[in-house]
Amino acid sequence: MKLKLPASLGSQYLVLLATIVIGAVVLGISSGGNFFGPVSMQTFFQFLAVPILIGLAQMITLAVGQLNLAIGAIGGVSACLAAVMVADWGFNPWLGALVCLVVGAVAGLANGILVVVTKINGFIVTLATMTVLLGVQYALVNTRTISADNWKPVAALGKASVLGLPAIFVIAIVVAVLVGLAFKYTTTGRHLLASGDNEHAATLAGISNDRSLTIAHGASGLIAGFAGFVSFASLPGVNQSVGGDWLLSSFAAPIIGGVSLTGGTVAVFGTVLAAFVVRLVDSARAEFQLAPAWVNLVIGAVILGTVALGRLRENRESTKAGMLRARVATHRINAPHMAETAAKEASL
Amino acid sequence: MSTPILQARNVTKTYPGVKALDNVNLTLAGGEIHALLGENGAGKSTLIKYLTGVHTADSGSLLISGAEQTFSNPSESTEAGVGVVHQERNVIREFTVAENIVLSRTPKKFGFIDWKKVNSEASRCLAMLDFDIDPSTPISKLSSAQIQLVEIARALYTDTKVLLLDEPTASISDAEAAKLFKVIHRLKDDGAAILFVSHKLDEVYAHCDTVTVLRDGKTVLSDAALADHPHDEIVNIMVGRSLASLVTPERSVNTAVDPVLELRNVTTTAGHGGISLDVRPGEILGLYGLVGAGRTELAHAILGRERITEGELLVNGKPAKIRSVKDALHDYGIGYVTESRKEEGVFLDANITRNIAATTWGKLAGPLGVVKVSDERALVEKYVQELGIRISSQDQLAGQLSGGNQQKVSLAKWLAADPKILIIDEPTIGIDVRTKRSFYELIWGLADQGLAILLISSDLAEMITLADRIAVMDSFTLAGTVENTRHYDSMSQDVIRLIHAKAPSH
Repeated sequence: MKLKLPASLGSQYLVLLATIVIGAVVLGISSGGNFFGPVSMQTFFQFLAVPILIGLAQMITLAVGQLNLAIGAIGGVSACLAAVMVADWGFNPWLGALVCLVVGAVAGLANGILVVVTKINGFIVTLATMTVLLGVQYALVNTRTISADNWKPVAALGKASVLGLPAIFVIAIVVAVLVGLAFKYTTTGRHLLASGDNEHAATLAGISNDRSLTIAHGASGLIAGFAGFVSFASLPGVNQSVGGDWLLSSFAAPIIGGVSLTGGTVAVFGTVLAAFVVRLVDSARAEFQLAPAWVNLVIGAVILGTVALGRLRENRESTKAGMLRARVATHRINAPHMAETAAKEASL
Repeated sequence: MSTPILQARNVTKTYPGVKALDNVNLTLAGGEIHALLGENGAGKSTLIKYLTGVHTADSGSLLISGAEQTFSNPSESTEAGVGVVHQERNVIREFTVAENIVLSRTPKKFGFIDWKKVNSEASRCLAMLDFDIDPSTPISKLSSAQIQLVEIARALYTDTKVLLLDEPTASISDAEAAKLFKVIHRLKDDGAAILFVSHKLDEVYAHCDTVTVLRDGKTVLSDAALADHPHDEIVNIMVGRSLASLVTPERSVNTAVDPVLELRNVTTTAGHGGISLDVRPGEILGLYGLVGAGRTELAHAILGRERITEGELLVNGKPAKIRSVKDALHDYGIGYVTESRKEEGVFLDANITRNIAATTWGKLAGPLGVVKVSDERALVEKYVQELGIRISSQDQLAGQLSGGNQQKVSLAKWLAADPKILIIDEPTIGIDVRTKRSFYELIWGLADQGLAILLISSDLAEMITLADRIAVMDSFTLAGTVENTRHYDSMSQDVIRLIHAKAPSH
């Protein structure tokens, strides 16, 4: 299967790549080259894992035309429960890791089932579960910070390297590839997209929209739980702030990456690239010691800009296609024998 | 006689307040094309949705090849060999043509989708229709008629023993319909049972063997040989009373008057080249062409939704600068009754008053922009009466009306804005015989009042009935304009000849 990108997406990826390169160069220069130092690079990629994962988690709900406001809360509760189980209740640290995934999947499935059964808008359902989960997270850890010294073997994974890159970043990329393959090569993935694109048509093709919604929310929760595990493994300690700043970036990555808000599309590569951009903005904040509010301002503005630009490009492209057709038509009137040449040109 | 392939017995389906199907019976035998006829709202689509597992019935039974079946969802009916093309378009716009065709049963290898097979299977189905399109084209690039063909191809994908076609020819050209009928006859010869729903009775008589007629959810004629029931009789059975034959009024257009709308050698961003045409007050100019000829797009260019890059658009002899539908309506008095009433013509969730008055709020509004409800209601009532729109009250939601009445609401909305030029795009798609006639009379009436009408239609018979002149389009150019003599045979030959004269040689 050849990898064929729609022209518009291809150019969007180029813009993202260019942004990443320029951003990295600017950061490199302004930090006097420190940014490209081994320690700084290690940190950069280590903390890129979470933006990628939560971007993917949000992308999956967007694919079915839903959204998941509870991603941060799911990740936070996962990490906190794992920390409490290991530090306070004496469980094996690796069991803590497993708990993150289970909590994420269960919370996500709960979102999905609530959306399907109550037929209440996903926005409201996940807003409610988010609030509930934040309460649970607070109840678990209160104002404590539980040190990662309690789960040294897992924390070692958080700092480990594979091929010179942080292991958790590599794992995040593997997750991204698996998600991409699932959307391309499994009927479940295609059914999610079909449900998100046109519910009625999906029903008539024998696709269960309820199943699509449940699976999408479940998968989104699972990946959010996985992001919770990554935080559990890589942060020096776990407290109630874990997941607190995930909401905006979870939307930023897929939207900047080219995922439609109305459902029916995914863009794994775009989402991963956009997560790079989000991470760069965060690095810039650290480099220039800006208030976190500036990050939100920049990312918010970029999201708006992306949506507006996408719209503009769509309009331009339909105009361009029309002009080509007009040339073919005019040719046919003026010089019938040349019409074919023009038609060929137009089809290129 | 052998066992019928599909048998529905005493099917009853009740919606709150309406008995959509009342003890309906239908028998489809193999090697037979069976017409299902009835006016809008008679229950045809509901019956098809029952037969394909989209809806369940309150009572009744369904037998496929003699074995009782209950379909609780559409995939079960597909598995049982029932293929269907529903009346409304049902595609996944983000997917390719190929994937839409195989969606109900995507080919897999080792548990994963086999994309090569997806495309080859789709090509096989498209080839049956002689539909020359790359299966990897995204659906969003297709016109609505092309999408219709994709849906037909989809119905042919699974081993279809029964093919249910709900108005498959409503939005495709005669040439495409001819291809479709070729396929239908081939399936028939292979022993499939075909159910064919259409409002075009000519087609029905040309291709169908047997007929069932529904009226108000009841079977009023059951599994009869079509040859035993002539055209007029069938119409009478459908409407439940005798209908006088349609009389075309004497039409005369004053050719001394200057055209009110004129295009001179127009090129557009939609892709038209060198289009010249004109419409006089009181004239009905037909715009005919095959699917994809650029008719609707030309209307969009006139309305400013596409830009005119070369040539001139004149209204009342003066060059017009139209940048939006709003400009077109308010500055130049051009109204546009859209092709797809559900998507563009009416606000389904709004009441009748709001729907019809929507174009007039600017005019009705007082100094503070407030519209008096009583003014609104009075204006709307006038059009409800004039057009004979059947509603229980103005508070009824447009979505609850039948297709024909929705179309009238859409028309009323534009008439309320008092246009001088009216573009009417495919006015009678999916509309029953009786409503169609009242529409024809309405359109003649509007022309008699001095309105210039640009009529877009894919139905050549309708074109020849209504238009004074017919402009034939092909591939975004004008193939020519012919005076309408109203002799169907010679006119249709003229029109088809124009299209073929322009077609590029291969």
